[in-house]
Amino acid sequence: MIEIRFHGRGGQGTVVASELLAQAAFLDGKIPQSFPFFGVERRGAPVTAFTRIDDRPIRLRTSITRPDVVVVLDPGLLRTTPVTEGLAPGGLLLVNTPRRAEELAAPPGVRRASVDATRIALAHGLGTAMLPIVNTAVLGALARATGVVTLEALGRAVEQFVPARPAENHRAARDGYLGVRNADPAAAAPVPATFAVPAPLAHPEGPVASVSSEVIHTAAWRTFTPVIHLDRCTKCNFCWKFCPDAAVELGADGFPRIRLEYCKGCGICAAECPPKTIEMVAEA
Amino acid sequence: MAKLTIPAQELMYSGHAACPGCGPALAMRLLLKGLGPRTILSIPACCWTVIATPYPTTALGVAVLDNPIEATGASVSGLRAAADAMHLKDVEVVGFAGDGGTVDIGLQSLSGMLERRTNAIYVMYDNEAYMNTGVQRSGATPRGAWTTTTPVGEGVRGKPEPKKDVMAIVLAHRPAYAATLNPSFPEDFDRKVERARSIEGPRFFHIFAPCPPGWKFDSAETIALGRLATDSGIFPLYEVVDGRLRITRKTGELKPVTEYLAAQGRFRHLGAEDAARLQSEVRAEWDRLLRRERDDLSGSH
Repeated sequence: MIEIRFHGRGGQGTVVASELLAQAAFLDGKIPQSFPFFGVERRGAPVTAFTRIDDRPIRLRTSITRPDVVVVLDPGLLRTTPVTEGLAPGGLLLVNTPRRAEELAAPPGVRRASVDATRIALAHGLGTAMLPIVNTAVLGALARATGVVTLEALGRAVEQFVPARPAENHRAARDGYLGVRNADPAAAAPVPATFAVPAPLAHPEGPVASVSSEVIHTAAWRTFTPVIHLDRCTKCNFCWKFCPDAAVELGADGFPRIRLEYCKGCGICAAECPPKTIEMVAEA
Repeated sequence: MAKLTIPAQELMYSGHAACPGCGPALAMRLLLKGLGPRTILSIPACCWTVIATPYPTTALGVAVLDNPIEATGASVSGLRAAADAMHLKDVEVVGFAGDGGTVDIGLQSLSGMLERRTNAIYVMYDNEAYMNTGVQRSGATPRGAWTTTTPVGEGVRGKPEPKKDVMAIVLAHRPAYAATLNPSFPEDFDRKVERARSIEGPRFFHIFAPCPPGWKFDSAETIALGRLATDSGIFPLYEVVDGRLRITRKTGELKPVTEYLAAQGRFRHLGAEDAARLQSEVRAEWDRLLRRERDDLSGSH
């Protein structure tokens, strides 16, 4: 049995990716299983989904804690989510990133692969620059890097089950297949993975929620970051006024500052700024 | 520093679980700025229950009662009675419910609260569908809008029925104050909250609350879309005090509704005929508001 864990954001097609992979495995004659982690699936919020593939019926029904393969649809999650947790030596980490696979941090012995699925998705008009839908390109890369499904079965699954733009998605899967880059695990010294894991929340007595939500850093939801060019700022406060996350504060000097630990990158401040001094910059 | 045009206080915290660009989140933020810390919120099942309270956290710096979806009006009456019994005179009791929890599931409860003349504010934030559960149509979904339960395909073109007129329903109860609010106009929004706080009795806010994923538009466009809604007459801004209606934003000519429709994926399938029909409905409603305002001003009811 092969166990695959997907990490992405709400809106990127993470859950659909896990389902498509299972459909493709089924078309290959395998017996698959897929389901998402049940959580708050907001657009931009971290999402986890699972796929198991075997030759025999799978009785296991639990979340995957010791995956053979980890697929990361958004490179921003590498900094905020412990994606490689439970990934043993010999396992594979596949990340959607423009970077080379050798540059990825992974636990010792874990093989690394990368694919620039965002570029592929946008080239095929899938999603928007703010929220590219990268799932099919990533699945193409996964098919090549692992061999868990054939490209032919993946293509059929995409044509059959993708709700919108099946032809474009099929081409994206093929480009992902061709564009995957593997790193030789022996070639580079393993870099220890470091993640900012939020501290456990202190539970108060009783059924009263009394901890400020500011202990939750929603920066991980962001794919684009606002950058204020203060030299042209007129201190009009529009960015502060219209922020749905209260993530803009005004300093004593009157200049705004984005509290990046909370900004979800919605882009309202940039759109509303009258002198257009705020730029939305893609997260590395 | 430029003078702030709305209160500086922040009683909605960051770190909440709303989607990027969430209209209801900005609505809550602006509302609490005006209401201040001596507020008790009653929130039924809706987006905001999930946004505010992944246990043990809360995104709201005021007291919150979590109540069933059909019970907001009743809970508000109960909270007011309790506050009065405890001589908490300076406390404002506020129900904060979505459109489904107001015009569908909570309608009798709202009607009861208004009819009992409960001294409280009932807020309906209108994102025009059951968004928290995945974009199912509500009584407040406009005609023609795509939702997951009013799909678009062969023979079906979004929701066939028109939107319920919640302001007409509320005004039939002769509330002490009722107003439409739009977070794209924060100063008008804040002035109405201030005005409502100065009045005793049942008060009602209908807040326009764009939903980027549910209405299918880019999260950066939330404010611009709200402005377009008001300036095209889709969501006119007005208040009714003691039965007298006053329009609080007039810009001369209304913008064509086609601009508003074109900005959202949920209306993408609509054609020129649908737009023309909506345009004439919007024009008729705007004329009705203008007439009513004139009549109320001259005192001829």
